[in-house]
Amino acid sequence: MRIRLKQYGEILTSRPAGREAALAMKARLRPAAGEPIELDFDGVLSVGPSWLDEVLGALRAEYGRERVICLPTKNLSVIESLRVIDSGR
Amino acid sequence: MKTETRARIVKIIQERDCARPIELVKMLGISPQAIHRHLRILVASGILEPRGRGPMRRYFLAGAPQLSAVLSWYASIASPAETPGEVVCETRDVFTARLGRLRSFARMGLKEDDLPLAISVAGEVGNNSFDHNLGNWRDVPGCWFETQATGGRLWICVADRGQGVFRSLTRADPTIPDEQAALVAAFERTLSGRAPENRGNGLKFVRNIVVASEGRGLACRSGVGLVEYGRLGGVCREELSRFPAEPAGTVTLILWSLK
Repeated sequence: MRIRLKQYGEILTSRPAGREAALAMKARLRPAAGEPIELDFDGVLSVGPSWLDEVLGALRAEYGRERVICLPTKNLSVIESLRVIDSGR
Repeated sequence: MKTETRARIVKIIQERDCARPIELVKMLGISPQAIHRHLRILVASGILEPRGRGPMRRYFLAGAPQLSAVLSWYASIASPAETPGEVVCETRDVFTARLGRLRSFARMGLKEDDLPLAISVAGEVGNNSFDHNLGNWRDVPGCWFETQATGGRLWICVADRGQGVFRSLTRADPTIPDEQAALVAAFERTLSGRAPENRGNGLKFVRNIVVASEGRGLACRSGVGLVEYGRLGGVCREELSRFPAEPAGTVTLILWSLK
């Protein structure tokens, strides 16, 4: 199941906005058992670690760490955000 | 004598941020022709840079940002007389919307790959102002967010009239001894003034991005604390050394080289 993050805005920053986005995602997601949750960053201009930490934290808590996958992207703000989030966990 | 006049012109512009030729004529009491001759020499020497056209042309120190407005706003002991709405973001939503303004620097030489990073770095710094001061501002709510391009560099300034980093972080770690240690902790430790919430990685991200490339720098002042990161951090630090230790808000200056 793929989540197109550009639906949540071109600039994804701040914890309150990330928390709100995660709640909206969880309300809509109906994945089949074991189905991966794929985050698609295509069309997103910039992501901050605070926003992404809230979204990943909520989705991983709900569906398990292994099922939540960030699709590959060349966007350096995503790559660096993931680096700092994963180094802190 | 000519060198002395040029030194006086530079000093006036340093103190005022900028000056029009007609203003220099009045202040120095010499002819417009002489002023223009000195200005041409100072521009050719790379000391000054002109901006604007015709009678509105002003001369600035080359490569230096204009920080007198934010300095006056930040340094005011009482509530500032003026809070310009075009740079002060009263709410987080306004701040987030204005982050998009950084797009315009892509036309001025901000590399395509750097734009998302510059936005997220500015975003983390500005959001920190709201995270730590919401409901607890000294007087004016929100943060000052200003961007400028000069001297082949993008300058991003974020300032607030909040409680300061020390007061915020000592709630999570009472052993932090002073404002300098609090700033170092903010940028180098995973520690949040919003404990027990799982936060505190935003400024580590900012530091990582700034030190990752030679063409970037940052300095942050909060109270008497002042830290710098990145190759160009010293340039930012020099600018922020003009900002007073009292009252204790927080001001961050980020510098990004343009192509």
